[in-house]
Amino acid sequence: MIARLLAPAGSLEMAQAAVDQGADIIYVGPLGFSRRPYESEMSDDAIREAATYARSRGAELRVVLNTFPTPYDFGRFVDKALRYAADGASGFIVTDVGLMCALRREIPDTVLHVSIGSGISNLADAAFYRDAGADVIILPYRWDVAEIESVRRASDIGLETFLFETVQTGKLCPGKCIMSSYLRFRDWKEVEGSRDFHGSANRGAKECYRVCQANWEFGAVGADPVEIKLRRDARLMLAQLPAFVAAGVSCFKLSGRERPVGMIRDLVRFYRRAIDEVAAGATDLGHHAAELAELRGRWVREKAKRVDTLMDRAASYVA
Amino acid sequence: MFELSTDVGNLKELREGDFSAYDAIYLGDFSCPEYPNNFSSHAELLEAGLQHVHANGQKAYLRLYAVPGNDDLDWVGDVIDTALQLPFDALEVHNLGVLRMLRERGCTAPIHLGVFGNLYTHETAKVLKDHGVTRVYPNPELSLDEVRYIAEHADIEVLVPVHGKIPLVISETCFILEHSEEGAEGGCGEGSCSYQCTQEHWLKRGRDDGSRADWSLKDTGRMTLSGKDLCMVEHGERLAGMGLKHFYVHNKGEAPGYAAAVGHIYRDALARAFAGEAAGDFAPALDTLAGLAREGLCNGYYFEGAGQRYIGRDR
Repeated sequence: MIARLLAPAGSLEMAQAAVDQGADIIYVGPLGFSRRPYESEMSDDAIREAATYARSRGAELRVVLNTFPTPYDFGRFVDKALRYAADGASGFIVTDVGLMCALRREIPDTVLHVSIGSGISNLADAAFYRDAGADVIILPYRWDVAEIESVRRASDIGLETFLFETVQTGKLCPGKCIMSSYLRFRDWKEVEGSRDFHGSANRGAKECYRVCQANWEFGAVGADPVEIKLRRDARLMLAQLPAFVAAGVSCFKLSGRERPVGMIRDLVRFYRRAIDEVAAGATDLGHHAAELAELRGRWVREKAKRVDTLMDRAASYVA
Repeated sequence: MFELSTDVGNLKELREGDFSAYDAIYLGDFSCPEYPNNFSSHAELLEAGLQHVHANGQKAYLRLYAVPGNDDLDWVGDVIDTALQLPFDALEVHNLGVLRMLRERGCTAPIHLGVFGNLYTHETAKVLKDHGVTRVYPNPELSLDEVRYIAEHADIEVLVPVHGKIPLVISETCFILEHSEEGAEGGCGEGSCSYQCTQEHWLKRGRDDGSRADWSLKDTGRMTLSGKDLCMVEHGERLAGMGLKHFYVHNKGEAPGYAAAVGHIYRDALARAFAGEAAGDFAPALDTLAGLAREGLCNGYYFEGAGQRYIGRDR
């Protein structure tokens, strides 16, 4: 099986850049429905245009509906998905298992990815989601080759992984975290559309404040605290890529809808070459080390701009 | 009329504590298999725990580990196999893979979906009902109106936490151990835990100069909890009026005596509310509850605010 490259499209410009550089699939988030600030989400018209652009060049478009619906607007998610499917979206990235079942029922031939926000942690989870109609699961950040092989043996579900090195420590809790909304809510902005509930990162209204990446003091009562982040920063991967392909990963996801277009353009070009080399039989990608180091540096510098910024901004939002 | 429940991690705590205010006990700490003699990870202790609870005329629910990795599935399966041979009143799952394991093993006991089950809508509750789920603990982000909507439109029991810290995060590894000397030496997950979580650990962000918001979170190692204690003692009448019937006090991470003190206050307050009696003066109860809450009280998200806000008497 040839592994595919799934690339971010936080804007129409980014969508076109990713397709031009060889992404097999791009993913877009509708305004207010995809756990990103509105600057990195797209209007329905822009999504339709991105789908047309991708299809005309042999690529596909997935729509990210990875927020949790409210009890009142569950049907709205389904309606939006039907519209996107009619506009050329070939699949969806979904978190809520109820929504996943509904989309499988309403759009039988679409491709359904289980979002990282579903919090899958074992191969029994994978089997549950397969039963529920999912086609692809995103693998947990902690999983290495042995884990991938075990789920490959247990299920025929498609396997997707982020292009990050695996990590074992820290509070890595996608789908198991509501820290941001405990601290503050930010009111909806007009551009995000009118919704009738107070939102949260998980429900799409508000950005996640990256609580885990901000600086905290941590310690036992009475002891001297240490200044600490709750998790290590994600690190772009490369060396693991051949082994992951051999273990059965069929889709590699590049994160970064909120990143600069130029960075995503360069990253898609880089990983396109790497995946093609692995498909041609390469098992060692060490000759890309210098270019990888440069990309990692850019990635980290961009990330550093955001640490603490979102948290400090959140302090001004409503309680 | 209504059910009030809480959680107890192991047999020692169960035998030494006063849980007489409660109708039902969730046995086990779903967050940490290493917690000493945790019911959730010690199949051999289940029968004794169950008998103790039933002997007190209470219902016994077993909590299953919330975030099992592949390496955990065998022992989780062993716990399930033992539990299914015993008359537990329900089993609680947080993980859909574990839910599938229960169904594969022919579980006929009621199944409760725990707080990390990510239940946000009635439609999702209906899907889970088809898998044997009879009670859901809606995500704490939901408002009371949303909780009621789910109960009514999915025709399912909902567990409504009324007091205690709010579970915000769960992780597969122990943050306390990772930042201890043992953890630095690779001790995490190798059975070398020295239970440093018996000391309270906190995450704090405030600065003396006011340049950062003064926010606090409690950390139990694998779980991060709200700094403030959710408190709904002033709102029993409203809860009763909404048709909600299953209430819960979060006890994990609290000192001995917390569950008893809180439980008796809520037993009284809810009994009055359900009987339609005048609520009386909440001040003494609030003083007691505030005294147990290092960082103060909040209402969670019930009244459509962010989790830290408190509506009621000024706290």
